[in-house]
Amino acid sequence: MATAERALSVSDAMSLAKSVLESVRITVVGEVSGCTVKPGYKAVYFSLKDDCALMPCLMWRDTYDACEAELRDGQLVEVTGSFTAYAPKGRLQFQVRSIRVAGEGMLRLQVAALARRLEVGGLMSAARKREIPAFPRRIGLVTSPRGKAIHDVIRTLRRRYPVAEVVVAGVQVEGEGAVAEIVCGLETLAGEPGVDVVILGRGGGSYEDLMPFNAEEVARAIVASPMPVVTGIGHEPDTCIADMVADLRASTPTAAAEAVSPDRTDVDRRLNALRRLLGRALAHLVSDGAGRFAALARRPVFREASYLLAARLQTVDVLADGLARALPVQLRRQRETVERARDGLTRVGSRLNGPFELQLSRDRERAVAAGRAVAESAERRMGLAAARLDDLSPLAILGRGYAVCYEGDGAVVRSAEAVARGDRVSVRLAEGRLGCLVEDIEKEA
Amino acid sequence: MAPENATPGDLTFGAALAELEEIVRALETGQLGLEESLARYERGVVLLRACQAKLADAQQKVTMLIGELEEDAESASEEPAERAEGAT
Repeated sequence: MATAERALSVSDAMSLAKSVLESVRITVVGEVSGCTVKPGYKAVYFSLKDDCALMPCLMWRDTYDACEAELRDGQLVEVTGSFTAYAPKGRLQFQVRSIRVAGEGMLRLQVAALARRLEVGGLMSAARKREIPAFPRRIGLVTSPRGKAIHDVIRTLRRRYPVAEVVVAGVQVEGEGAVAEIVCGLETLAGEPGVDVVILGRGGGSYEDLMPFNAEEVARAIVASPMPVVTGIGHEPDTCIADMVADLRASTPTAAAEAVSPDRTDVDRRLNALRRLLGRALAHLVSDGAGRFAALARRPVFREASYLLAARLQTVDVLADGLARALPVQLRRQRETVERARDGLTRVGSRLNGPFELQLSRDRERAVAAGRAVAESAERRMGLAAARLDDLSPLAILGRGYAVCYEGDGAVVRSAEAVARGDRVSVRLAEGRLGCLVEDIEKEA
Repeated sequence: MAPENATPGDLTFGAALAELEEIVRALETGQLGLEESLARYERGVVLLRACQAKLADAQQKVTMLIGELEEDAESASEEPAERAEGAT
């Protein structure tokens, strides 16, 4: 390039830079700082900054007035324009052509960035969310003591659940100091005994008005709260950081009040239902008991046992009774019968005995005589028979002087040859026996 | 769970209601003996009365820990009427 060969004057160099810079139109987001708006000045001066850099800006007065913005330090703005160089001072400046003050987009970007950071930190995790108690004892409320929100909440709670006490920390909810007051309100309620849930609420407003509820300090105070926090912020469908980290997000203060309280008519209905159930449980208990009892009683073992036993016991009673009454009568009656029979028998017997006795004695005498005759004849015949028997007996022969000789083995010795000298023989006499030793044998010729 | 022998008046509304519901559940199972059932039933009736009385007598109390409650026009005109209503 030709220009590279030749040295430029400072003015030319700055002029060149200026033209190059101004040819690029850009939009920048940053926080306003060092804002100077002075009536006599032709321009408004301020800087835009972020964490690491600072960018001096100027805005021509007529442009500034036309955009109806009101710049404040700390504000986030979105500016469109181009860099330029201010040659007399050698300064780089951004010349603002248009400005969007508190541009929601930027705020949202900023809020989104914080939200991401907090999310990464686990502050929004579903696991961290606590359950809202169904019947809180005391309900904490952090909101402005002025305005509609506090009355909306109190009216709603009075209508729905007057049982709970409302404990209010009235704080500034917008503008400078709001963040610190909201944090203080949450911390104060954290130290209150019996507060079971806290509502953090405010009425509707611009996105910028709601910025305290996007503050990290408030988010951390909500997370640090020992009891669940329910947000009811604004009427818009906007979600702020406080909503994201809260245990429950309601769209309005009224909705938040509804979320922390049971509906009185629901409670009434529930109590009535419980009353009915309790009554029914008792009725069921009684009827069930009675039913079981009846069923048991119907069981054969019980029914018949008792029935039969009763019947039998009664029978036994009746019989015992009858027996007790019948026995003596019967006995007496039978004794009388026996006595009568005996008397009759005695009388009849004596009458019968007379003729029979005579006959009997005669028969007896005849029988004795006949018997005697029979006996005598039998005796005689027996004597004869005995005499004949005597004649036949070997003993009777021995009686006439004979003897019988027996060998040692009991055989009768009929011949002298049957024995030898020295043999022992036995001799049977009519009376007694002799043991003999054979000394001499004579054989008959 | 609140102690079951607590005086119902000392229980919070929620605790009394929870115990009452537990009693009804237990009774409905039919697993309790007769005497136990009757004892639970009696306790249930006492709790029921306590809950209903709490609800009937409740007048919402508002305590300002920080700041002064600024009555708005709507609420200021409403307050006396509601207080009178609550007292009847």
